[in-house]
Amino acid sequence: EVEASSSSNHVPEDTSDPNAIVPDEDLPFTRVKLTSDEDDEETSEAVRTVQAWAVDIPDPRHTTSALKWLKSSGLDTPTLSHLKRVRKSPTGTHSTLLLTSTSPTIAPELPSDLDLAAPYQLAVPRSAALTPTSLALKNALWPTVFAPRRKGEPEDWSRARAQWACAAMVRVVEEARAARAAGELPIASYVPAPPEEPAWPSYLARDTRVSSAHPLRHAALNVVRALSNSTASTSASIIPATAAASTPPTSAPTKNGQHYLLTSRALFVTHEPCVMCSMALLHSRVKEVFFLVPMQRTGGCGGAACVPKLEGVNHRFAIGRWKTGAGGVSVEGLEIDEDIDS
Amino acid sequence: MISGDTENIEEASDEHLAWMLQAMEMAEEALTASEVPVGCVFVRGGRSIARARNRTNELRNATRHAELEAIDAILANPALTPPSLLTSGAYPLADTTLYVTVEPCIMCASALRQMGIKRVFYGCANERFGGCGSVLGVNKGLAHPKHPPFDATDGYCREEAIMILRRFYVTENTNAPTPRSKTNRVLKTDIPSREPTPRHS
Repeated sequence: EVEASSSSNHVPEDTSDPNAIVPDEDLPFTRVKLTSDEDDEETSEAVRTVQAWAVDIPDPRHTTSALKWLKSSGLDTPTLSHLKRVRKSPTGTHSTLLLTSTSPTIAPELPSDLDLAAPYQLAVPRSAALTPTSLALKNALWPTVFAPRRKGEPEDWSRARAQWACAAMVRVVEEARAARAAGELPIASYVPAPPEEPAWPSYLARDTRVSSAHPLRHAALNVVRALSNSTASTSASIIPATAAASTPPTSAPTKNGQHYLLTSRALFVTHEPCVMCSMALLHSRVKEVFFLVPMQRTGGCGGAACVPKLEGVNHRFAIGRWKTGAGGVSVEGLEIDEDIDS
Repeated sequence: MISGDTENIEEASDEHLAWMLQAMEMAEEALTASEVPVGCVFVRGGRSIARARNRTNELRNATRHAELEAIDAILANPALTPPSLLTSGAYPLADTTLYVTVEPCIMCASALRQMGIKRVFYGCANERFGGCGSVLGVNKGLAHPKHPPFDATDGYCREEAIMILRRFYVTENTNAPTPRSKTNRVLKTDIPSREPTPRHS
């Protein structure tokens, strides 16, 4: 299941500049947009809000003490981290403290020693401002953080990177056809060495739900397991001195905890991962997922649901839907029933 | 008749509570092992057929949640999962009820539906990843062309489930991608009604 080296990743010869940026329309995949509902907050009607509790501080000199109390109160949750905590009145006579967005029906308890008024509810922006226009609209409701560049913003693709992706998709399709020949469903997934880190190990897995008599042995979960199994033998305490192949490359992410995750890695998969696998990939902190065959009724990357797009999840990964025939990749032999979870 | 029904509901309620206390024991075991404290028990025909807890750190695999651990044990046991059952296309968990301390995440909820779980009881909601309604209703709200929906009921040992998660999160999770210093954190004991903030990892 595990492929130890990345030697199969030869980029086809090309005389043009490998560093040239490929325009989006010439990429072998279509980017699945993850932020559509956050993009259009350019009119006051379109600004999405959430109810929150606030309290006026009649004497602005008490603001610091009130902030201190808020920090220790447990009301200060990350759900309002895109908002400033204090708003000063335009005339400077008082300030207002934002308390919490939870328990909308029960007013939070306030300290008696701070001389605060009764808390009240108001509508505040649900997310940070992405444009100057939305910032102005949101500031009118409550002082909001301006975050024009956000995580998950599409990155530029070089010609070399596009060729790397094509080679990876060819490889994973090959594996899926081999799986079918062995009596499995023709589904496979592949985590190649990144183009800028060719010495990193790559991981290849196929769907094994038939041979293992286990309905959950899907290709994406199997590749996550392959990665775990290989890193388990290289954990800090038991690094084999002689096993050069299994020693983590020095340039690999060495931050605590990241060695067993898919952080900074791209995953190529023949079929859109099901909801279970999409969430497994999110738990594993994968950077991007490229799939060839959309699964409209069961997929978790835009089909039945779009897991990294959900509000509340703590990680986002980019999704690329492979364009028909791009990179010479054919879907022949990859047919599965549309009600299968892949 | 009405009083009789109430009695039945109370008896059922006691039974659910008893199983959930066993799930809490598994969560305690996870906490002792420095794992995110989530535990579960799978019950079939009035007896426990699998108990498991989160093992993500130990196995270096972010997908090894309690539910998937237990499912693997059930499927690996031919007495619990006859090979003929799988080839017949029947659901392996059609007669099985799950008790889990925290709402199954989106991954586990999908796995449980693919396995045809009969019913799920959980302690507290999971606002980050909850797959039984908190973030996505994978158990029921989300349509699936094949797998039947299942009911998920919260509330048994809810406060205990929240408190054990808090006990975990006030200590430093040295296995987290970016460990945070938590020396200033205090263990809070107040629990707002139906507004928990646990996480399932």
